[in-house]
Amino acid sequence: MTVRPVIQLPDHRLKERALPVPCIDETARQLAADLVDTMRASPACIGLAAPQIGVSLRAFAIDVTGHPKAHSCHGEVVLFNPELLLAHGPVVAREGCVSVPHLTGDVRRATEVVLRGLDQDDHERILTADGFEARALLHELDHLDGLLFLDRVASQDAIFRRKVYR
Amino acid sequence: MAHFAVSAVGADRPGIVAAVTAVFLEHGCNLEDSSMSILRGHFAMMLLVNAPDGVTEEQLEAALTDPAARFDLVVAVRRIDDRVPTSPAGEQWNLAVYGADRPGIVHRITQLLADNDINIVDLTTHVIGEPDQPVYAMLVDLTLPPGADAELLTRRLTHLADDLGVDCSLHRVEADVL
Repeated sequence: MTVRPVIQLPDHRLKERALPVPCIDETARQLAADLVDTMRASPACIGLAAPQIGVSLRAFAIDVTGHPKAHSCHGEVVLFNPELLLAHGPVVAREGCVSVPHLTGDVRRATEVVLRGLDQDDHERILTADGFEARALLHELDHLDGLLFLDRVASQDAIFRRKVYR
Repeated sequence: MAHFAVSAVGADRPGIVAAVTAVFLEHGCNLEDSSMSILRGHFAMMLLVNAPDGVTEEQLEAALTDPAARFDLVVAVRRIDDRVPTSPAGEQWNLAVYGADRPGIVHRITQLLADNDINIVDLTTHVIGEPDQPVYAMLVDLTLPPGADAELLTRRLTHLADDLGVDCSLHRVEADVL
């Protein structure tokens, strides 16, 4: 079990675009184990991407098991080289991130997604997720492109101004 | 080091923030927390500024007269305590109140919150809708003290909202750590 330090802003590694995992070997599986161990060690953390432990590779772990907002739930998932195939139905909800302490933000994200990636046995995995699990997947996917929730915060004003009462 | 609270308000146009913050930069000050927004066409800035030793309220105010004149701003500078006061701990909740505009909405809702020992951490209000039928909308982020009864508070707020002829909803803000 290896719990690795989680890097936080202003560490610039969080803003880099991560590289593809070259092959799913023992090193990749060790990374997967570290991601899961580190995620489990942070209270209330339900997802962690490799750049958050200082590894600039396209891999993340999520687990929304038991989360009150979760609808779809694939349990513990580690994906290598994930790609977003479909995203639909944006909704705004408040997010925080273990790499961005003391701040939360309202972020608009799709509620239905389909992702493709590789699992730890180098098999293609297609994930169809919705609701909270979809949000978690998109948040982790963003980390692989150097994007934080701060890059996607929806303006509070925008929420207000669009309301029309007649 | 000294901390100053600075406020500036003026008719909105491009360049206000740059002009005001130039003064702080020239005096070696560092901007800390700030909130700036357009309120009914006026740009309103509230800033906490950290200034090096020797910089005084009077110096900053004098230096701000230039951008204030150029942008027709009302500016105020006040020295504040360097210590950071702590806000009460508790759960974060969000309250939305909206309905036909009438006097007393903010006062009566916030008095109820105060009477229940609830701390407001953020509050914005907007007059929206058509000019002949203005709608008042208020969004409050608040901290419920540990052990507070959210259901009881919801009943009290709903009762008061009925009395004011507005709608309200209270919900817990759960920021999910992803």
